Amino acid sequence: MDLLNALFSSAPWGPVRIGLHLTFGIVLLYWLWLAYQLRQAVHLRHLKRPRAWLLPAAGLVVLAFIAILAYQATWQLGGTARPRFVAFMQSHDRRQFNPAHWIQRGRILDRHGRVLAESRNRDGAAERVYPYGPVFAHAVGYADPRFGLSGIEATANLALNGSMLDSLDDWGELGRQVLTQSKRPRGQDRVTTFDASLQRFAVDALSAAPGGGSGAVLLLRPADGAVLVMASVPSFDPNRLQADLFNARDPATPLLNRATQGQYPPGSTFKVVMAAQALERGFSGRLDCPANGYTTSRHYPPIRDHEYYSAQDAGGSWAGHGPLDLATALAKSSNVFFAQLGVLGGHSALAAIGERLLFNRSIAFAGGASKALSFQTGRLPSIPKRDRYGLAQASIGQGRVTATPAHLALIAAAIANDGLAMRPRLLRDAEPQALAQLMSSETARRLRVMLRRAVRDGTGRGIDTDGLEIAGKTGTAENPHGASHSWFVGFAPASSPSLAFAVLVEHGGYGSAVAAPLARDLLVKAAEQGLL
Amino acid sequence: MAAKGTPTTAEETWALRRPERRLLLSALMIALLGYLMLLGARPKDGFAVQLADWAPLLVFAAAFGAVHGAFVIARFRGDQLVLPTTALLSAFGLLAQVRMGLFGETEPDWMELVLLPVALAALVLVALAGRAGRYAMARRATWFWAGLSLLILGVLLVTGQRFRGAVYAVGFITPTELLKLTLVLFTAGFIDQHLKALSRWRSLLPPLRRLWPLLLVWGLVTALLLMQRDLGLVLILGVALLVMLVAGTGQPGYAIYGLALAAGAGAALISLFSHGQRRLAVWLDPFADPTGAGWQVLQGLSGMFAGGLWGEGFSEARPRYAPIAESDFIYSVLAEELGYVGSLLLIAVFAVLFIRLLTLAARARTPFGLMVTIGITSVLAVQTLLNLGGVTKALPLTGITLPMISHGGSSLVTVFASLGLVLAISDGEPVKPRAKATAVKKTKTSSSKAPAGGKRRAPSSRAKAGTGRKA
Repeated sequence: MDLLNALFSSAPWGPVRIGLHLTFGIVLLYWLWLAYQLRQAVHLRHLKRPRAWLLPAAGLVVLAFIAILAYQATWQLGGTARPRFVAFMQSHDRRQFNPAHWIQRGRILDRHGRVLAESRNRDGAAERVYPYGPVFAHAVGYADPRFGLSGIEATANLALNGSMLDSLDDWGELGRQVLTQSKRPRGQDRVTTFDASLQRFAVDALSAAPGGGSGAVLLLRPADGAVLVMASVPSFDPNRLQADLFNARDPATPLLNRATQGQYPPGSTFKVVMAAQALERGFSGRLDCPANGYTTSRHYPPIRDHEYYSAQDAGGSWAGHGPLDLATALAKSSNVFFAQLGVLGGHSALAAIGERLLFNRSIAFAGGASKALSFQTGRLPSIPKRDRYGLAQASIGQGRVTATPAHLALIAAAIANDGLAMRPRLLRDAEPQALAQLMSSETARRLRVMLRRAVRDGTGRGIDTDGLEIAGKTGTAENPHGASHSWFVGFAPASSPSLAFAVLVEHGGYGSAVAAPLARDLLVKAAEQGLL
Repeated sequence: MAAKGTPTTAEETWALRRPERRLLLSALMIALLGYLMLLGARPKDGFAVQLADWAPLLVFAAAFGAVHGAFVIARFRGDQLVLPTTALLSAFGLLAQVRMGLFGETEPDWMELVLLPVALAALVLVALAGRAGRYAMARRATWFWAGLSLLILGVLLVTGQRFRGAVYAVGFITPTELLKLTLVLFTAGFIDQHLKALSRWRSLLPPLRRLWPLLLVWGLVTALLLMQRDLGLVLILGVALLVMLVAGTGQPGYAIYGLALAAGAGAALISLFSHGQRRLAVWLDPFADPTGAGWQVLQGLSGMFAGGLWGEGFSEARPRYAPIAESDFIYSVLAEELGYVGSLLLIAVFAVLFIRLLTLAARARTPFGLMVTIGITSVLAVQTLLNLGGVTKALPLTGITLPMISHGGSSLVTVFASLGLVLAISDGEPVKPRAKATAVKKTKTSSSKAPAGGKRRAPSSRAKAGTGRKA
């Protein structure tokens, strides 16, 4: 016994044990082979011939066993393909040798190869590190054993864990890891479409913006839907997740991805939608826009233009626009014109353009089979037939109509891309995919001209920059929570757009004063990188 | 090879049963290899290896050796594959249970040690008592089996204690295990006695007028089992009943009616029993409550994942993470330590056993023997599949043990007694004088001195067998 004890605690016991383990399996195999070989010798001649049902019955038993073994393999060998299982093991399995503790998740990179998320080893376990901290908290998300997965960490989880088997090499790598029981399973890197420097610039600019420093920016390429910036402020640090973050009802809602989920009144940016509707209907002509505004009934206060209020504040008076055509009205952002235009078109035309421009939906980003990463489009509730004032209000982007920054960016991108909206994508390797034709290419062409004019001579003229040829629409959305939200939505350069964007600054005030300059600075920065 | 039909001397039987011996010895070898690995991990648990630590393996080897010896001495000519397969499965059980520390941490636990010899003694007794067709005596005691089944359930209902949602008798004995044998015997006997009537269906209706006593007993048993919330056992026995009815009468209609009834009853039961609903919910989404209801199955699966393809072997300190791992979840311990490959081989051994049992059923000489064998086979097979399915999450958990591997005295004795009965049936029928008279073509081997006697079926087989050493 002492000899055995000495052997068990000696150094060579390790290899000897592995040898024993191997022999154990081989002798088992030999036993099965022997049982098969001896089937003649143990044949029972004094019994009857087997009844006919023997073969099907035996087949059924074997099939049942095979089914169970196959299912077992999906856990025992392919467990990394089950994100919740991996998370469970990482937080609740005390077996030190469980490979789940050691999975080297693939890195998440931006389009220039800058690291947005990577796994490092600390204290005997893999730890996820986000070098950009709060900047990409919503877009890249987090992977935490306690709090689960979000963002790209969730949608690309399979690949990051090394269980996305879409090529022969991937199968080979999984096979190698299973065969060798690799203690360091390595996932695949994923390259995103994001531009880390632009994203950081957007987040910094939003944080510094007036009105409390919260808002969202979405910047994408109209031609293929690649999202370069998806910023939402305030944010949180995915390197330091705490339970309070998820439990506390923080009024600043740092978890909310404002770019994809934030519903805001669109204000004047909605006039782009109305202009598209008018062009699709074949509207041409002028509408009179007097200074004392427009209303559907004398019981409701008239809808007036902002020039009226500016003049009133200055103690003067204003004569009104007089008759306006669509292009001028859009450039001047005339509430009176668009309120009339909406009522002229009627309830069904508004509902139709809402449907055409994909309101009331949730749209998944391209490339992820998972629904974990998607964005909401605006809400356009149906307005009762008798409520004509509600229709007038909705036509200027107030009342019950809302929009998300991602949705308005998508509409701007569609205008830039001859009416065809490409499905937004976050991963470089996701195939560009057409989403829907939002409007005819002729409508899109005329809107491009009009929106360029809105920046050149209209409400956005303060940000017109030589060489950038910015086109877009400002918005100043009144809301019951405080100062107006500041919007700027558009694309550049107008003649052949390569970038489309939506900028929202919560309670920032005038769109032309806050959101538009922010967008301009971002575009200047993008132009420096040769993106324009 | 010696005379295959009727060995007349112990010497002949010794030669005849060589395949059984070879397989048994290989199984012992496997047990020894595993045992060495096990002992090698003991120092990591903080115990030095003592001489007494070998006791479980020695008892195991001696017990199976003794069974083989008893068969040789008694000139038993029944099946030779069932015993070694059982031994190999028991070896897995031994390894897993020693691993879980069930035989005592420092000193051997004598109660645990005698369990296997007792169960094997039951196997030998039943096999030898029932051979040469004597098992058919059980057929006459049909109503005794029914009474015994109901008595067990009744007594248990009055005296039983509730633990972990099931009812146990004093000392954690689970007498309901015995039902797996007594009810099979009752059902086989009853069907055999009314075989003609039960096989004759009028158009699409089963002969209910003959069937009702069977249905009555089964209804009572099911009701009593449900009062104890033993849904798993109801399922196992129900499948066995249907299989026996179909195999015995050759009427697939029983299966169709039975499955329809089972589907309806199953749906009703699930909606009635919150217990069953919970298990169903955990099965569908164990992650809904990972640290509560889903904990056990997820810990088992985590262990398997950690074990991977090859397993860690019995190398590290003992796994203690899955609750009650020694009974229901023993398969996850084996799959963790021996890897996917090990569990594949284990399941292959199970498949060998079941295919062999099915073969014995398919070749039984009497309808009663057929039904008993197929009944026992389906009980064991369904139990195995339910356990494996539950542990791997392929099926909802039913709280059923893995035959021959899980820890459990009542279960072990019942399973081994059942296998003894199957062995007895595989021994064939006694020689009938008339049959002997017609088989005039005597050969040298067919000595009339054979005490146990044995009827051989065809002259041709006897002619082939006639080259034996007795010549």
